[in-house]
Amino acid sequence: MPAPSDHPFAHLDTAAVGRAVAQIAERPGDFADAFFERVEVVELPPDDGDGGPGIRVRREEGLAVRLVRQGRCWLAARDDIAPQTFSEALRRVARVMPAAAYPEPRLDVEPDASPVEAPEVLELPAQVQRAVRARRAAFPLRLTVRRHRRWVQVVRGEPVVPAPETEELYSVAAELPWSPGAGRWGALFPALGEAAASRLADALVDLFRARQAPPPEPFRGVVVLGPAAAAVFLHEAVAHALEADVLALGGDPEAAVGVRLGPESLSVLDDPATAPEPVRRRTDDEGREVRRRWLLRAGEVGDPLADATWAAGSEVLSDGAGRRGGRHDPPGPRSTHLELLPGELDDEALLADGDGGLWLAEAGRGALDPRTGTFRLDFPAGRRIRGGAAAEPTGPCRLAGTVAELLAAVSGVGREATAAGAGWCAKGGQKLPVWATAPALRLEGVEVTA
Amino acid sequence: MSGAPGPRLAAVLAGLARRGLEEAEVYAKRGRSRRLRLDAFTRVSQLDEEEGWAVRAGTRRGSLFAAGTGVPPPDGPWPEPDGRPIRLPPPDDDAGAGWSAPADFDAPLVGEPEGFELLAAIGRELAGELAGARLLSATLEDGASESELANARGTAARWRGRVAVLRVEAGLGAGAAAGPTAVVELAEREARRFAPRPLARRLADRLTAEAAGPPEGFAGRDRGELVLAPPLAARLLAALVPLLVGPAAADRIAPLRDRRGRVAGEAVTLVDDGRHPGGALTAPVDGEGMSTRRVVLVEDGRFRQPLVAWDEARGREARPAGCRRRAGWRDLPATAPSHLYLVPGEAAPAGLVAELARGYYLLDATGPPAVDVAAGRFRVPVCGFAVERGRASAPVAGVTLAGTLQALLHGVQTAARDLAFFPYDGMVGAPTLRVSGLELRGPSASP
Repeated sequence: MPAPSDHPFAHLDTAAVGRAVAQIAERPGDFADAFFERVEVVELPPDDGDGGPGIRVRREEGLAVRLVRQGRCWLAARDDIAPQTFSEALRRVARVMPAAAYPEPRLDVEPDASPVEAPEVLELPAQVQRAVRARRAAFPLRLTVRRHRRWVQVVRGEPVVPAPETEELYSVAAELPWSPGAGRWGALFPALGEAAASRLADALVDLFRARQAPPPEPFRGVVVLGPAAAAVFLHEAVAHALEADVLALGGDPEAAVGVRLGPESLSVLDDPATAPEPVRRRTDDEGREVRRRWLLRAGEVGDPLADATWAAGSEVLSDGAGRRGGRHDPPGPRSTHLELLPGELDDEALLADGDGGLWLAEAGRGALDPRTGTFRLDFPAGRRIRGGAAAEPTGPCRLAGTVAELLAAVSGVGREATAAGAGWCAKGGQKLPVWATAPALRLEGVEVTA
Repeated sequence: MSGAPGPRLAAVLAGLARRGLEEAEVYAKRGRSRRLRLDAFTRVSQLDEEEGWAVRAGTRRGSLFAAGTGVPPPDGPWPEPDGRPIRLPPPDDDAGAGWSAPADFDAPLVGEPEGFELLAAIGRELAGELAGARLLSATLEDGASESELANARGTAARWRGRVAVLRVEAGLGAGAAAGPTAVVELAEREARRFAPRPLARRLADRLTAEAAGPPEGFAGRDRGELVLAPPLAARLLAALVPLLVGPAAADRIAPLRDRRGRVAGEAVTLVDDGRHPGGALTAPVDGEGMSTRRVVLVEDGRFRQPLVAWDEARGREARPAGCRRRAGWRDLPATAPSHLYLVPGEAAPAGLVAELARGYYLLDATGPPAVDVAAGRFRVPVCGFAVERGRASAPVAGVTLAGTLQALLHGVQTAARDLAFFPYDGMVGAPTLRVSGLELRGPSASP
């Protein structure tokens, strides 16, 4: 991971940028900001892949200027960081005197001329191959491995300038040639190495061994979600459901605070500052300090996720959860790192009296209809619970219901929380990595379909 | 439009040659776009300028791909060549021949007031079409671009693009009485071509059908006669791209041949045309600088050739075309259709519905189609109307259209004249189709 002193925006004249941005926020209640971004993606496709190039690299940088006034937003983005570009973007979003010449502050950004090196990316396929072999399995392994780096600096029209931020993470997508329906399976990692290879091998071997297992017959009963599946479940059913813009589709977001959504055993936080170190954030993509935010506290809604626009003028909603896919996208309220507080149940207790139910270790895609509160989550495979243990594999299945029904069905929380990359979230077409630390979760009386 | 590479691209090719990268190609794109978004809570007005480049280069042992913003750097840094060597196309002497840029390429981007008024008009028309229906969100993006490409084998090309995309989500009811939602996405060459009223009607029909669910007394399965509206017909055609595109397509489509050698009904003629008049993706060359053209893939039900690029043609029958599209400067070029469509016939679409004694007029897919090319089967959730004696008798939703790929293609009896295109992986178009031999399954039917 790059050292903080190497941050490309360490030498921006942020004071001058801030003064320039302040000029366009000329009415009470206006706020404006400038967003500087550098991105690097290094990709290793499968070695017997599309016949195209091997290692692939994309490096980009640019800026965006934004003005928010009474819920309306004007945004101008450019694929370049230069004084003239900044001034031009500022002019585009200014509502008064757009033809005026705006300041051109010094924007000293070191060109990214560093060599393209990613040995950890190159080594991963062989590490996974060895880990799969150690589990006495063999199948064609087709992995696409990517390293994602992002450097961000936000400057608001205020004297205090937020610190620059850096993120580094890895995504791995595996093709599942034995499963034409499922197609691909993916995961995120804060670091690569033997531990990541082991986690990948566990998941892929389980999916491979379940390849011919029939889907479970539809039933209503016990489902135990492993930590990775619980993370996806909570992301869809708690984080998305408690984003201010999603809440607003069903009514007043402030009215959600204090509503009971789950049992007392269910406490969920969003805290970007406790995410895995390489993706940890002190400020969000609007330059606001992040918060340790209780989404559910003992089952009741605490502090919904809000960005600066939703928090403006609200005495209930607090900012600090504004994220953006990139400079060409406006920010919106999003989760970064969910924490489900551990309960007291060990694996044996979670699976007890669950005969006929399912143990679901990995989740696939989920979807929430914010207008109706209906929710579904697909699982590529599972295991039948028999005699208090996870037994034979089963094929793909789906969990569906309303958010309220599913959260009310939580009957137990595991006692061992583990860091689990919840994966990519593509709300509104903005693809963002989301993280979670969660134990296993037991649900009762939920409907499972094939 | 073509000729010697510009000085910036020539400098990059020279820099790559100094590194010993004998096969080299550089692509650069500049664009600007206005994006307007409207929902119940906010309006976002955005004006973006993008500038990016991509380099493919290699030696006899390996190759690299690099992309970035700004101006392409003559001297990298480049990753070490890895993977497989690449092959780049030789100069295409026909590139750009017979091409003249459409006049609307020069039209200015839609203005902010004009664009928001278009979105508001869609909302007004929708409310007028169906009581309780409202716009949940709408996004309009109108963009123009200029691209330049050169490779070390002597290819040099410049071309422009102009495309507008409109995405509208509508819903019925609100709050506790929230009903179904429907999403429609359209693409045109420029934003002023979007017409609010037909779009509002399409949304209103979708919402009406989806509010109803499966028809009363539906027996679980029905093999009635079907009329497929253009959005559904195009969605199915888009799902059939593996049968039509790439060097393996001929093998994939072969099992669909009947005893007369046809892979589809006589009403089926399928074409891909990189220069389709009025097409949103129309261009003189593809993402490798090769000349685009009209290619007949299936003619009167007979398979003529797959859509293949210059290095994919096998046998004398498969004549290549410029069909390597770049989704953007961040992406490698890939073989894909640009305007794939089923050639329209003469029939009036309303006439096809009027001729149905008993059947279904299916409007749209309500989810993605599942196509198993190896097993030759498909299924897709749909909505529409039941038809009795030529008239809609009841809305239908929560049902699945299913069958074999052979039945789908051979079952097309008539193509109407109302060809319409939709944005999928490329633009895909179809007219209203009369189809038989497929099955409509209710929620209780087994797969």
